[in-house]
Amino acid sequence: MRILSIAVNTFRENLREKLLYNLLFFALLMIGSSILLSRITLGDYHRLILDLGLASINLFGVLIAIFVGIGLVSKEVDRKTIYTIVSKPIPRYEFLLGKYCGLVITLFANTIVMVVGLLIVLQVMDVPITSLVFKSLALIFLELMVITAVAVLFSTFTSATLSAIFTLAVYMIGHLSGDLKEFSKKLDEVSQMVVNAIYYTLPNLERFNLKGHVIHHLDFGMADMALTLAYGLTYAAFLLLLASIVFQRRDFQ
Amino acid sequence: MSFEAISARRRHLLSFLTLVLLLGASLSMQYLLEQRSQGRIAKLEQLRLLPRGEILRPALLGYHQLGADLLWLRVVQVLGDRVVRDKDYDWLYHALDVITTVDPKYVYAYEAGGIVLAELASRVDLSNRLLEKGLAPNPASWQIPFRLGFNHFFHLGDHSRAAEYMAQAARIPGPFPIGPPHYTARLASRLYVQGKNPEVALEFLEAMLEQTTDELVREKLQRRIRRVSLERDLQMLERQILQYADSKGKRPASLMELVSARLLPGIPSEPYGGDYLYDSKTGKVMSSTHDERMGVYVPADSLATRGDIE
Repeated sequence: MRILSIAVNTFRENLREKLLYNLLFFALLMIGSSILLSRITLGDYHRLILDLGLASINLFGVLIAIFVGIGLVSKEVDRKTIYTIVSKPIPRYEFLLGKYCGLVITLFANTIVMVVGLLIVLQVMDVPITSLVFKSLALIFLELMVITAVAVLFSTFTSATLSAIFTLAVYMIGHLSGDLKEFSKKLDEVSQMVVNAIYYTLPNLERFNLKGHVIHHLDFGMADMALTLAYGLTYAAFLLLLASIVFQRRDFQ
Repeated sequence: MSFEAISARRRHLLSFLTLVLLLGASLSMQYLLEQRSQGRIAKLEQLRLLPRGEILRPALLGYHQLGADLLWLRVVQVLGDRVVRDKDYDWLYHALDVITTVDPKYVYAYEAGGIVLAELASRVDLSNRLLEKGLAPNPASWQIPFRLGFNHFFHLGDHSRAAEYMAQAARIPGPFPIGPPHYTARLASRLYVQGKNPEVALEFLEAMLEQTTDELVREKLQRRIRRVSLERDLQMLERQILQYADSKGKRPASLMELVSARLLPGIPSEPYGGDYLYDSKTGKVMSSTHDERMGVYVPADSLATRGDIE
């Protein structure tokens, strides 16, 4: 119950954030611009609309997750409101979890707005809406949840600017970590073990990327979907627990 | 019992255990997902999908060298694969072309790419195209004309072009490895004079082997050396048989007769562990492991790609 009220409060607070509306505005602008672009392209305009739409939702979702997520704890510290919270009989992990849930709700609301925008465009332009589009959107949201958890983790021990940089770095690394695995195959056994350990500990965000599947109509089975969902949620839980442990030990002066 | 009621130590232990558990779970799911998606997109197919270098270059925002390095890493992963289909080498050439367009001064990419295309893929045309592309942006590199010289000599049997490239390599100043190895000038002059001699080829190959540290390329070169040694031995045996016939008026009945006539210190051992088979009717010597001869050393002008069976 306490987690929920913190979550709702965080959500309300986030709604006052001007940055959020700017990002949302540009996301919708980009999704809408695909109508114009599809007029001047040759051939498969379905592809262009889906590509641009999914990419915008993904990119702006990540930007919202990062730039709203990083301020989560540091803003409370800056405004000194953290003292009133940590002195209350609320365990710190509940505070953190509530903040995270509030952020996820914010992201969910944003994603819904963007998805509705995309669906309208798809409907207007007569692009068939397949179940794959929704699977892809679900995994994009899962990726946002993981990114948010990363942002929360960093915001528990560094400043807002640093956590933004770190989270962006993790986002990029997460999409490139597949190469790490590929390159490790030629190394000797010990280095291979080290590289593999790094690879498996880092989030592999490419797993949440179904944009190619949607465009090329590749099937993504339910078993794969369930496994990917479980992976994303477990990884987010791992990050949050780590964040709670760090936050628990932090001394506010 | 609520979470708060548990003592602090046990709480720490519990959260630590859960942390490990969650990491382990996510790790094993990662692994499972990997197993399920194994080999869905072949690595070479990804190389084919690379955009042209001219288009990729501006997208790299000034990180051209880094981009070329990363692409090179990808190419190297493919090179080691056991099964590479013939048409895959077109993708390989495409990738090398992209790398060298993104970073035209990446001498090693030309050099190693040139060797792999010629030796591994038997695509001398692509190898030469890649190497020739590298000549203009790298006037100070001796490696590129050196490989071009080798390709023209060994694969195309064009000894005068080969000698020209070799001479070009020999003109680069500086001590090895900045400049060419000391024997380059000698190789160039020998090529001008007696290009079709397998001894020259062996000298060439041993020289290349000496400079190369890459295992994959070394192995290819060693294969070539074995094959050319076989040809050298066959030619040497046939020469001695002719000499025997000249002095005694008839061909020897077996190869051992050459040894007893003191024309040879002994029958050389066949580099593949086989035997030298002698046909006393025709005076020809064959190997039990290879039934074709390498065309480039036989006086008739033919391509060298035939007869390299292993």
